[in-house]
Amino acid sequence: MIRLDGVSKTVQSGGRPLTILHPTDLWLPAGRTLAVVGPSGSGKSTLLGLIAGLDAPTTGRIAIDGIDITRLGEDALARVRGQKIGFVFQSFHLIGSLTALENVLVPMELSGVANADARARHLLDDVGLADRGHHYPSQLSGGEQQRVAIARALSNDPPLLLADEPTGNLDSANGGHVIDLLFGVNATRGTTLVLVTHDAALAGRASARLSLSDGRIVSRAGLDGPAGMAAEPPVAVARPDTAAAASRPGA
Amino acid sequence: MRFILRMVRREARASWKRLLFFFLCVGLGVGAIITIRSVIQSVRDGLVREARTLTAADVLIATNRPLEAAEQARIDGRLADARAGRQSRSIETATMVRPSAGTRPVARVAEVQGVDAAFPLYGQVTLRGGAGYTHDLLRDGGALVRPELLAHLGVGVGDRLRIGERDFTIRGVVLSEPGRRVGAFSLGPRVLVDLADLERSGLLQFGSRARHRTMVQVPDPAIDGLVRLLRADFPRQFVSVSSYRTAQDNIGEDLQRAEDYLSLVGFVMVVLGGLGVWSVTRVFVRQKMHAVAVLKCVGASTGQLLAVYVAQVLVMSLVGSLVGAVIAALALRAIPASVVASLPGTVLALQPSAVLQGMAVGVLVSFLFSFVPLLDVRAVKPLLLLRDERPAAAGPRRGGRLLSRWGGRFDAATVATTVLVGLALAGVSTWQAGSTRVGLIVTGGLLTVAVALSVVGRLLVRLVRPLRRVSWFPLRHALTSIGRPGNQTQVILVAVGLGAFFILGVRALQSNLLDELSLDLRSGGADLFLIDIQPAQAEAVRAFVAERLPGQPSRVVPVLRARVTGVHGRSLSLDSADEVRGQGSLAREYVLTYRGRLEANETIVAGRFWPDTPASTPEVSIEESLRDRFGFSLDDRIRFDILGRVVEARVTSVRRVVWSDTRAGGFMFVFRPGTLERAPGTFIATVQGPADPAARARLQGELAMRFPNVSAIDVLEVARTVESVLGNVTLAVSVVGAVALLSGLLILAGTVAMTKFERLHDAAVFKTLGASNTTMTGMVAIEYGALGLLGGLVGAIAALLLTWVVSQQVLEIRWRPAPGLLALGVLATAVLSAAVGVVSSLDVLRRKPLAILRAE
Repeated sequence: MIRLDGVSKTVQSGGRPLTILHPTDLWLPAGRTLAVVGPSGSGKSTLLGLIAGLDAPTTGRIAIDGIDITRLGEDALARVRGQKIGFVFQSFHLIGSLTALENVLVPMELSGVANADARARHLLDDVGLADRGHHYPSQLSGGEQQRVAIARALSNDPPLLLADEPTGNLDSANGGHVIDLLFGVNATRGTTLVLVTHDAALAGRASARLSLSDGRIVSRAGLDGPAGMAAEPPVAVARPDTAAAASRPGA
Repeated sequence: MRFILRMVRREARASWKRLLFFFLCVGLGVGAIITIRSVIQSVRDGLVREARTLTAADVLIATNRPLEAAEQARIDGRLADARAGRQSRSIETATMVRPSAGTRPVARVAEVQGVDAAFPLYGQVTLRGGAGYTHDLLRDGGALVRPELLAHLGVGVGDRLRIGERDFTIRGVVLSEPGRRVGAFSLGPRVLVDLADLERSGLLQFGSRARHRTMVQVPDPAIDGLVRLLRADFPRQFVSVSSYRTAQDNIGEDLQRAEDYLSLVGFVMVVLGGLGVWSVTRVFVRQKMHAVAVLKCVGASTGQLLAVYVAQVLVMSLVGSLVGAVIAALALRAIPASVVASLPGTVLALQPSAVLQGMAVGVLVSFLFSFVPLLDVRAVKPLLLLRDERPAAAGPRRGGRLLSRWGGRFDAATVATTVLVGLALAGVSTWQAGSTRVGLIVTGGLLTVAVALSVVGRLLVRLVRPLRRVSWFPLRHALTSIGRPGNQTQVILVAVGLGAFFILGVRALQSNLLDELSLDLRSGGADLFLIDIQPAQAEAVRAFVAERLPGQPSRVVPVLRARVTGVHGRSLSLDSADEVRGQGSLAREYVLTYRGRLEANETIVAGRFWPDTPASTPEVSIEESLRDRFGFSLDDRIRFDILGRVVEARVTSVRRVVWSDTRAGGFMFVFRPGTLERAPGTFIATVQGPADPAARARLQGELAMRFPNVSAIDVLEVARTVESVLGNVTLAVSVVGAVALLSGLLILAGTVAMTKFERLHDAAVFKTLGASNTTMTGMVAIEYGALGLLGGLVGAIAALLLTWVVSQQVLEIRWRPAPGLLALGVLATAVLSAAVGVVSSLDVLRRKPLAILRAE
């Protein structure tokens, strides 16, 4: 599902190059759950952003579901994100001017899904917010907002779900609920889940663990080593349109 | 497409309160444009009526000989192309007029004008005794004459006059007629007869001096084109073509200036309105950046997002423009009708074309101003969601830095779009200004001031940096806020600076223009012109006037009528009369004089005035404004055509004339004695006659007895008409100026108020940290007051330059700096900015900080 080959990220900071992620290899097969842990500034979020195609690596290649996303333009990337990746943020990032239901609807409308309305209601029902669809984000609690964000992330039934400290802004009860939801999705739909977290207990629930420090991987657990990567089929440089169409929900 | 429309609807619904402000700001800008343009159109209609009355036609074609068939056909073709309406033909010739009954051996040179049944196309012929004018009065040997002719010839209504080979019966006395202007020195009193009678009088034989005029009604938009084409058709022949707008005399110029001023104000309102629209669109776009990042993250393409927000801006600006039309309708209703009561037939009403223009400008400007900021949508990386940055809430500083850090560089598309938007704006400017020159001057001023303001803003940010150590909390944080790179400092400076620039500029121009108009009014002191005084009679007339009107200001001076036909000078070189025409009013007919000394109201500002001795080589002294307007300099050689005689004179001095000193009057060109004494010229005497009608008539009678060839032109009536026309022009300029001032202030207030959205977040944090409302108010007042002071200062300096350029280049009036007005303007700008800052923040201060922070 996810394959990184020598991916690194260097930014200019105060006029000097600063490497925030050193060359990294990674292979995560479909259906697995991976927790990325490490102290602040260790490069966790950078790694997640690169996998999501929100940022471009300085070196290396990233393939998601067989598509080399490092070669894609901004709009093609947006399409891949819309159809293959669901993203859950620490601070929710709902669109304030849209209701909960509309926030969930937007990704489906963008990819032209039929019957989007019913599916959005269904998703809100799944996260326990069936009767809150007409509420605006400002009328929802933090936990509720995050559940809406999860419903939105799932709306196109993506094969990959990325979560950046999804419980970081929530109390433990709400946090627990959100975590249950995320792992439940993995269990019921087989969605590959990558989460960045500080929470050791949460990290413990994942089937694999990656520890980062100062932009380097310091330990891997439950992951096939680089040697195992040879087992994965070679990356196809597919045109995102065809690839996206092939995996469109209901297609 | 469906997604785009849905998003537009949703966003409009969700944030309608914030949009209400958008609508108000766009509406205010558009409303101001519509109001001003409606007022301008209404009063301009009134002014145009006045101007037409003075010319008696839309387009006037005049020749010194009858037109040949081919020429006539050509003119007819052009008129047909321009969809010309009614025409009136007239012929004017100077001839001797005497009573038919040979009892008295008197005769007078009179200007006999034959008119057809269509005369007058505009205005009315006023007859003594209040009788109405119809062409029947002239038919079959009728004549209408000026009162001074009756006095001269000792005849009355009902008597018969011999003109050429025919007898005419005096059927009435003309007091005023359209097409007669004050100061247009005629050869004698006017006699109106039927055109057919005049043609049968034997006066119009080959070689006789007659002026053939065709007066035409032409639809307004076609006038300028028609005049241009006809002038091009007859470059060599002496066919002069003019319109009521190009009339080259003082009143024509005043009307033209008033129109130019009104166009300028209309255009400035568009710029100010655009400024308001810009500030509101900017905030809107900025607030959308967070949503853009989220939408990109969930798969929206840049194209889709651009479409969503461009569509949203268009819909909103359309609604805002409609609000503007409503505002304009209310504003027009609020202007008391009595304000324009003296402009006959003027009703202040919403003009459909003004509404269309205003709304088009509103939508266009919103679109143009939002498009470049919206291009930032491309640069928004959804990554900033991951960094937990809040691009929308954080304001320009963090957003801006992030944008540039994450790829928001100047690229080809941005540059191309900016250029296109710039060109489109220039197009709008030219359209709105109605004159390329005005458009260019104002647009140039706009750019210069904007650049100056942004430089000043940058300097300010640097300058206040060391001051942040002051201990008083409000001052320290006001300075911190100003010094924060990229915050609202620039926006407020640019908005306030440009606003002050335009408002003060228009205001200063208005006072300059009104000064000029009132000068003209005051100089109309003389109301009796004695003309055709032969050189040998000059002394006798002088003695006569001094005896009959002791103590009254009166003068007897030699006059020659001349046109400038060429200039050879250091900075100005014009070889032909055509090139002179390209210089605007330089081509008009000037009245020259010659004398050996300066008048009391004259001083020399360059060169030396000649000694009181005749010279053999022609020397001329020019009035200061000629040098300033047309670039004459000392030692330039100017070629004059003085009734057919060509004289080339060297400029040896430049005079300043105090025009307001009406006793001495003034001449643009004064020759040194020795050259013009033998040129075809006469003397005129300007006299302020007795106000009592009986005394006036007696004086004219005695004058006729002693000097039969001298005509007394009584311009009291005409002077009163002119006075009322100029009074109306003054009124129109003042009304429009007042509306412009008011709406400009409102727009400025709206623009400044818009920046409050950028302070919401900081204000909430300050309150959370324990800042009291007093402290916050102090901060805001200091910050906005300082910015207002600075913006006002830059704006005032620029306004000074603008008034200078516009008065020299466009209005061709004397420039007078208005330091008091400008100083007051700077102060008012500072106070107003501080007040608007505080008032617009009241709602921020009142709200609970949590509500703001949560809404972010």
